[in-house]
Amino acid sequence: MQNGYGGHILRVDLTSGSIHRKKTDPAYMLNVIGGRGLNSTRLYEELPRDCDPLTAENMLLIGVGPLTGTLLSASAFMTISGKSPLTGILGDSAAGGFFGAELKLAGYDQVVMTGRCEKPSYLYIADDHVEIRDASHLWGKDIWQTTAAIRKDINDNAVQVAAIGPAGENLVKYATVACNNSRMCGRTGMGCLFGSKHLKAVAVRGKGRLTVADPLGYLDLCRELDQKIMAHPEYEKRNALGSTLLMKALNGIGILPTDHFQHGLCEYVDRVSGETLAENFKVKNKSCFNCNLHCSRYYLVGEAEAEGPEFETLCSYTSRIGNHDLEFGLKMNAFLNRMGIDSLSSGETIGWAMECVQRGLLNKDDFDGLDFTWGNCQTVEKLLGMIIRREGIGDLFAEGTRSLARHFGKGSGEYAFHVKGLDMICGDPRGIKAFGLTYAIASRGGDHLRAEPFFELTERYDEAEKRWGVRDIADRLSDNGKAILVEHTERQALLTDCLTMCKNIGLSMDILDFDFASRLLIAGTGLKFTPEKVDDALKGVIDRDRKMNIDFGVTAEQDTLPKRFTHEPLKEGGSKGQVVPIGRMVKEYYKAKGWSAQGVPQD
Amino acid sequence: MITLDLARCSGCSRCEVNCSFFHSGKIGRSGARIKVLKIEDIGIDYPVVCQQCQERYCAKCPEKAIRVDSLGQVIVSPTLCTACGTCEILCPIGAIELFEEIPLVCDLCGGDPRCVKACTLDAIHYDPEVTGAISLKDFKKSSRGLNPEEKRLRYVIALSQELRDRWVAERRG
Repeated sequence: MQNGYGGHILRVDLTSGSIHRKKTDPAYMLNVIGGRGLNSTRLYEELPRDCDPLTAENMLLIGVGPLTGTLLSASAFMTISGKSPLTGILGDSAAGGFFGAELKLAGYDQVVMTGRCEKPSYLYIADDHVEIRDASHLWGKDIWQTTAAIRKDINDNAVQVAAIGPAGENLVKYATVACNNSRMCGRTGMGCLFGSKHLKAVAVRGKGRLTVADPLGYLDLCRELDQKIMAHPEYEKRNALGSTLLMKALNGIGILPTDHFQHGLCEYVDRVSGETLAENFKVKNKSCFNCNLHCSRYYLVGEAEAEGPEFETLCSYTSRIGNHDLEFGLKMNAFLNRMGIDSLSSGETIGWAMECVQRGLLNKDDFDGLDFTWGNCQTVEKLLGMIIRREGIGDLFAEGTRSLARHFGKGSGEYAFHVKGLDMICGDPRGIKAFGLTYAIASRGGDHLRAEPFFELTERYDEAEKRWGVRDIADRLSDNGKAILVEHTERQALLTDCLTMCKNIGLSMDILDFDFASRLLIAGTGLKFTPEKVDDALKGVIDRDRKMNIDFGVTAEQDTLPKRFTHEPLKEGGSKGQVVPIGRMVKEYYKAKGWSAQGVPQD
Repeated sequence: MITLDLARCSGCSRCEVNCSFFHSGKIGRSGARIKVLKIEDIGIDYPVVCQQCQERYCAKCPEKAIRVDSLGQVIVSPTLCTACGTCEILCPIGAIELFEEIPLVCDLCGGDPRCVKACTLDAIHYDPEVTGAISLKDFKKSSRGLNPEEKRLRYVIALSQELRDRWVAERRG
């Protein structure tokens, strides 16, 4: 172990079975920090740009941050990266839970996997012992069964498992990887990447202990962070509801996706809200490793039970597809967790089909007789089974919305809400302009987490003036200054990703700034992570991600939003009349980044 | 002794982390004297720690290296201990375990348990008045041959049943 860091990079070639451990190089880490920064840079340096994502050439990386597994609250994540099977560009997805910390305790900062296992296998890491094991008996099992079976195989309940379900095995393009049963690396199809490598799971057990460079100084900083979290005005609510509080919050400002973004206002929101979930189904709080917010929840509903859902899943399986039945949404969350498919991407394929049917573009005959009227739960349940098994129409749905719309044509592409192939998240950008810009420019496609410019929702006008000299930045409906905000919070978001930290805390609660992070990194690792050094590292990663995406074929024309959000004003609610002037905003963003007018980083 | 309000526990493991850090300046489950068990298929999280049991199984140390101190906590003498592992074998619930040849067991941090301070859900409490109140006889019988992790798991499965039943009754009627 090195201070903060696990101390080793593990390289596994799944084809030959060769396994190498190499000491983590502190000088290298100063330029990439860890987590997503480390993963992205590895891809930039080593990934053959023209590789087909589903072939052995593609890389599969698991990265953990330098402070993960230590005293620092809310830094429990791990990030899986590779070329995305869904989008064909940079893919990565992070999940909380306990896997990241365990990997660190085993002594690793990153696992680099290349090649492809000949038969179903799983990778078992127990400190210095690393082994590729047979997983024939696990193939076909769902994620919960797989996790339990591996723990039984190894006879250790404390083993942490990141596994795929049947969807990943069947190469559903948006399959997930889950740890702790319900903690999902949901986006960009990292589960499909696992499946393509015949890799059922990575299991890890770390019996080591982590050290930090300046224990007492570090302790003080961690206590300071704990205090900031506990004293935050939203603490109680976030503790009680987690991200599900967004159902009512977004509805309140008229941006809750309803009937596939045709409305921003959901009249039955109280039936499907986080509050109703907590009251009727939650049994207790759940938490990631060492977090003091405990924002997740465990629930029982009918015969089903699971941890979660987070807001994106809740919305995707209720208002976004016109479903009024919360119980059904919760059952689907449990089902998706077990089978391992992304709720956002699968939810978007369903919403797309429902809108296409509503508009008469497509009908039952196009969809194996399935009735895609709004909120039809039988159809949803049946379709998901078909997607997971790639059966009938499910085979097309398993390719994602972009591909579906290309297949069917007939103008259905106008209702395929993705950016660069990644299905859009739940949050109508028309009423949150900086988020709109984020979806357009995010390096993994239509996603908010690349910048999470939550500040625009705060109405902290004086603070906006102080930080950036533009008061409008605190006004969610204004596009003025939002490029500056996004340029800033994109670095902040990457910083949380490099620390594999939680964005709810780091960004939404506005708790992690560059100076504080620099102090944490110095006390934790003992390396010279000055604020300037940290910022240089972050800028470097963002530029390299962009260059890599350009190599993958991304152009400035793709830095945009689906037409609905730029041309169709919202009809009602707190964001009535709004659209996103995306062209202007993207240009301003390139300028703020110092990129060319075509969005190319300049060296 | 350390007591637990199981229904409140989210499984975050802050107790474990802070225990390890306080005792060694390092962080890791191996160095913790309280260990959180998860039965993930039924949503249970359970920090296992010394129950200061009536029987005091661990104190039957052949080297007389273990004594019970004034707060009821178990104290291991580093000079007398030979790391023979008898205490680990004797404890029915896996609350004492050797790590790097040192038996690790809750010492109540000398009366100011860090796990209690670290818990922000008010799930762990310290009651200095209560000690020797719990019998672990029922767990002793079939604990032979199990490693500490297995013993902890068995203990947690038994003790979480009541809460689980309550959830099922409340949510499934």
